[in-house]
Amino acid sequence: MPLFITIAIAKLILRTSRLFGRGGGSALPGLVAERIDPNIGRKLAARLHDGCIIVTGTNGKTTTAKMIAGILSDAGEGIVSNRAGSNLSRGIVSALVEHASFSGHFSESVGLFEVDEAAMPAVCTMVRPRAIIVLNLFRDQLDRYGELDSTAQLIGKGIAATSAQVYLNADDPRVAGLASFASADRVTYFGVEGKLKTKLAHDVTADSSTCPVCGKRLVYTQTYFGHIGHYRCREGHFERPVPDYSAENVELQPEAVSFTLKSHEPKVQLGLPGLYNVYNALAAVTFTVHHQGITFAGITQSLERIKPAFGRAEKLEVEGRTLHLLLVKNPTGFNQIIQTFLLQEKQQNLLILINDNFADGRDVSWLWDVAFEDLQAQHPRIAVSGIRANDMALRLKYADIATELIEPEATRALNQFIAQLPAGAIGYIIPTYTALLESRRYLSRRTHLKGVWQ
Amino acid sequence: MVKRPAVAPATATKPIATKQTLTILHLYAEELNIYGDRGNILTLVKRLEWRGIKSTVIQAGIGDKPDIAGADIIFGGGGQDHGQVAVGKDLQRHAKALHAAAAAGTPMLAICGTYQLFGRGFTTLEGSEIPGIALFKARTAASRLRLIGNVIIDTPLGRLVGFENHSGRTILEEGQEALGTVVQGCGNDGRSGKEGAVTENVYGTYLHGPILPKNPLLADHLLLTALRRKYGVESLAPLNDYLEEATAQVAMRRPQ
Repeated sequence: MPLFITIAIAKLILRTSRLFGRGGGSALPGLVAERIDPNIGRKLAARLHDGCIIVTGTNGKTTTAKMIAGILSDAGEGIVSNRAGSNLSRGIVSALVEHASFSGHFSESVGLFEVDEAAMPAVCTMVRPRAIIVLNLFRDQLDRYGELDSTAQLIGKGIAATSAQVYLNADDPRVAGLASFASADRVTYFGVEGKLKTKLAHDVTADSSTCPVCGKRLVYTQTYFGHIGHYRCREGHFERPVPDYSAENVELQPEAVSFTLKSHEPKVQLGLPGLYNVYNALAAVTFTVHHQGITFAGITQSLERIKPAFGRAEKLEVEGRTLHLLLVKNPTGFNQIIQTFLLQEKQQNLLILINDNFADGRDVSWLWDVAFEDLQAQHPRIAVSGIRANDMALRLKYADIATELIEPEATRALNQFIAQLPAGAIGYIIPTYTALLESRRYLSRRTHLKGVWQ
Repeated sequence: MVKRPAVAPATATKPIATKQTLTILHLYAEELNIYGDRGNILTLVKRLEWRGIKSTVIQAGIGDKPDIAGADIIFGGGGQDHGQVAVGKDLQRHAKALHAAAAAGTPMLAICGTYQLFGRGFTTLEGSEIPGIALFKARTAASRLRLIGNVIIDTPLGRLVGFENHSGRTILEEGQEALGTVVQGCGNDGRSGKEGAVTENVYGTYLHGPILPKNPLLADHLLLTALRRKYGVESLAPLNDYLEEATAQVAMRRPQ
């Protein structure tokens, strides 16, 4: 089948599914295009003359890709990127097809893709990236991926299948361990320096704190959250690599963070909260300074303008109330949100929406690994919703936190939650993935909200 | 080994404090902990606390020397297949003490990975053997296809609900009692219709979710068994389990 026919068919499907509002047409065009021509992704990716960049890891893919896109486009690069959540190979093919001309050429120069950990072998073979950025590896939706060990293997396989420069988080032992899949000159590390009290008292999400050689528990001189920190094997087999790029003088505020990069002026300032966003920004800075050769001053300016990604600390106004949308997928992500609450005034108003559809992860046992106990002292006012609203309320009961409202139906819960918010107050809406889509759909009717699907 | 006192209660009505206290031993809390297993410990601790009974949780990991004979309840959770090898080896040190505790009637709950190691052994995909401690007359072999989904079982205690996610298929030998029969889901091996195993007061199961918060009758059964052994207690003060039951009802309506 000639290339232009495959592209034409896929584009037609894209338009049609958009017209009917079906998921923004993120996956289907790619799926069909791959059926017609299994090599379509490889053929198209090869025509991006500045190559492809991959961002992977459990948490922060969307935000980091958004930061890199901001920096690159400010530097004049045209970018093809996939949509948040459409991070399997079909989502990437969809993006390529969407941007390609009928003859299969691009006006954009670079492909920037966030890639699901499990899709790494297939996507790496397909797009032959020149750079791979690995953020972190946490337990996440084990019902879909099996276990963390196999997830790391899959990313490793992807790395080994390419000759890409690899950017690894030195502070995550499992990510740093991926260096064994690439030659030493291909690896660049980033990490955070300094003493920070960001670890929650009830954080139990340290998932990979054993030595990859002897299996013994790693010792930490500094823990930031989960198993992220400064570690070494007692027997001397393995230790945190010295970062090539490090964030220092980290300052955390309720809605912003800042840090300095060794020997670079000025400060990096972000309008996003949490140490996790320091890591996301550090990854973006490391890659763009090292690989793209963009000036540091230009990068900091671009980062200051970064707005939150889809459902990641997005802010919106509804009838005089401010609502924050905070997507949750796993215990580490939820703990990071709790950590930012601890920097704020007490008695926050929260609406937590837990669904157990396939895209959310069907197993909700992860809620028991979230450090809700750390929230007690904040005396939050909590409403719960979603298919598994009761599971959420039960978890809070065993953390000695009362739930003020249990309303499984999302739109009714949102309506009541907003109605009960005093004028001028802030409400935090914390949904799982499909509950985020439901929430945005409902809120878009009550306020100006762009791109319900994104 | 970390010793943690139980958290003080914040319930509206303060229970009448008793002089009773239970020691809960959490085996391999750091090595086997991926499916919300600390929810099981939390449930035991809180349901004691709400009845005015104190508890101490002792976490024992690889290389530690916990006092098994002194434990009133013993718990072990599920982990990654990878961690299974190191834990399996370490667990052998406690085989004798755990058999003695089981024979003495100590209630134990073993989930997923610990359940498998409480059997005769686990055969990995590569064919190597991780010996267990044979509290259960059962054998487990890894398979390529994971058994994943919501699961409901009927047991002599009542109906239990949870989530399963395991590559191991466990076969019970003649004479080994199962915990229950599968109503929905896969259970031990996806074929026999059996789920879990029971010997004396030792319970093994693939149900996480975690199992105890949504199944308070099992939680209370373990607690009463322990209190009966230690203090001759005949019944537990009732708790308001409306939310627990409502949560279980929702879980039971979810597709496999």
